[in-house]
Amino acid sequence: MNQEILNREFETFQAQLKSFVLRMTCSVQDSEDIVQETYIKAQAKLDTFEERSTLKTWVFSIASNLAKDLLRSKQRWPENVTDICKEAAMSNQAFFQEAMTIRHTSPQGKFEIKEHIAFCLNCVSRSLPLEQQLTLFLKEIYSFKIQEIAEIMDQSDAMIKYHLHTGRSKMMEVFDRRCSLINKEGVCHQCTELNGIFNPDQDAQEEAVKIKMVKDAEKGDKEHLFDLRLTVMKEIDPFLSDAAELQLHHLEHNRGVMEKYFEKK
Amino acid sequence: MRVLFIIVSLMTTISIHAQNGKASTVKNTFNRSTEVSIDINADASIIWALLTNASDFPRWNSTITSLEGDIALGEKILLKSTLDEKRTFKLKVKEFEVNKRMVWGDGKGNRTYTLTEKADGTVTFYMHEKIGGLMFPMYAKYIPPFDEAFEQFAADLKKEAELIANTKN
Repeated sequence: MNQEILNREFETFQAQLKSFVLRMTCSVQDSEDIVQETYIKAQAKLDTFEERSTLKTWVFSIASNLAKDLLRSKQRWPENVTDICKEAAMSNQAFFQEAMTIRHTSPQGKFEIKEHIAFCLNCVSRSLPLEQQLTLFLKEIYSFKIQEIAEIMDQSDAMIKYHLHTGRSKMMEVFDRRCSLINKEGVCHQCTELNGIFNPDQDAQEEAVKIKMVKDAEKGDKEHLFDLRLTVMKEIDPFLSDAAELQLHHLEHNRGVMEKYFEKK
Repeated sequence: MRVLFIIVSLMTTISIHAQNGKASTVKNTFNRSTEVSIDINADASIIWALLTNASDFPRWNSTITSLEGDIALGEKILLKSTLDEKRTFKLKVKEFEVNKRMVWGDGKGNRTYTLTEKADGTVTFYMHEKIGGLMFPMYAKYIPPFDEAFEQFAADLKKEAELIANTKN
């Protein structure tokens, strides 16, 4: 392994790494800082890389540790984070004005329900214990194998399976109870409400049923529906999608609201 | 000789029960003990994680309706079970040996969990609860039998732990 190979390989997974760190930290600035610091650390420690895992796994372990260091001191968000942030947004006219400006002027300012599904999963998954969220994302969104995640997290395969199963189960239960896209009695309608605001000419229900997860909702298979939800997130690059700027603006808002929420507490 | 045969038979029966998730109870004047044992095909760390994540208990354990607190040595936990849903048991974690043994209890009794790793890779889960004291005869009749809840606890734990252990790579 040498510097040239590191640079070449880093380039191939840098976008994934940045997306992963963003989804963990919910902060554009933190994700940029951590990716940069990861690269510097990888460069500095390259002679300690023993090639027992792939370079990508090794680099993700550096980034995961940096993200963990940052997040360990921060509180985990409550599972009704989107309710709390919605309330804050409703009384923040500037937020909606900025969002509308992005919507109408940015090439990455589209609003799509599937983008909001990924955004919502991102926010709600922060209610999981840190290790469960890391495992869930590494396995289901970034396609690492159990053994690779065990290396990244420096834990046994058994514990990774535990984190994955428990995290999945918790998320399935939360979305089954809250998400009106898959449960008519679900209390959260934010994605269709926002679609009404940002795309007033569209019928939100018509848009929603174009998404496989919504189409399959009546089958009621929670595992399957959660897998489809994860697929929606997996297919979106939060920095490159047509909705990226709008969703990142929303994510920054929610992170700010949660920071104030815990300060008040 | 016949007495010895009966004792050996009885011990064998208890042993068989202990192997298959069947609970057994021994009642005395001043105490009552219930135990159950079951073999689980999962890593001890998975079983231990399930047994020590308080808020997650109601998800997989149908005998516990809520469990609050931090399951760590010296900590207090609040448990509500299906045996008496109106009552909250205030328990203390008295012993805590990671992946091996844990004791929760109050002034009236103790519940002990033990994990024993076997050579074939399986783990024997053993749960024992002894309640009693000088006043035990006065309130014994108000305490429901534990056998069914113990068997369900063990079965739920085995099912969940083995499901996790079989997670695909």
